[in-house]
Amino acid sequence: MSHLTKIELEINDLNALKNTCNRLGFKFLENQKTYKWFGKFMGDSPLPEGLSISDLGKCHHAISAPNCSYEIGVVKQGNKFVLLWDYWHSGGLDKKIGTNGGKLKQAYTIEKAKWEATKKGYSCTEHKTEKGIQLRIRL
Amino acid sequence: MPKEIILDITNDGEISIETKGFKGKSCMKESAFLEEVLGKQLHQQLTPAYYEFDPNENRKKILNLCG
Repeated sequence: MSHLTKIELEINDLNALKNTCNRLGFKFLENQKTYKWFGKFMGDSPLPEGLSISDLGKCHHAISAPNCSYEIGVVKQGNKFVLLWDYWHSGGLDKKIGTNGGKLKQAYTIEKAKWEATKKGYSCTEHKTEKGIQLRIRL
Repeated sequence: MPKEIILDITNDGEISIETKGFKGKSCMKESAFLEEVLGKQLHQQLTPAYYEFDPNENRKKILNLCG
């Protein structure tokens, strides 16, 4: 081993996000300007940075997951995209993507990393691990 | 040992990147493209292999000209 780095994900590639949706069996709803949620902010979680209560429910694109009554909003903020969703259990998204959207972040990371590595001519293999997924990129 | 970049992504979405088979600072250069496109670096740990001599790395040679 030479070095080890921990990264905080930023979603900045819409194509990789579309591939993520395909991978998970979700539908990317391009240019859908609203996403389904409870419709009223209950104040039980912090608002994402740079957003106010009146911004909730509005988006630039949306994502729907099978058997979920709520949807995920994709909001463009500068060069990156922020994902908004209502994790209340009746909406069904918490089971599909995890409370913090971990499964969606995981799938996006794999799709984005594979795309970038393949562009450089490197080969990639995926393996399931106890805690998640491992992607090995061979140079 | 083949040169590899290994990403571990937990089900909670935590990402760690590890490099294997590199000597010296080349591991940083080779994995930088992933760190740039995926997000912000939170933490970095260098391992003994990082400090090993890489024969491909350019090094300055100082010649004693005064005899």
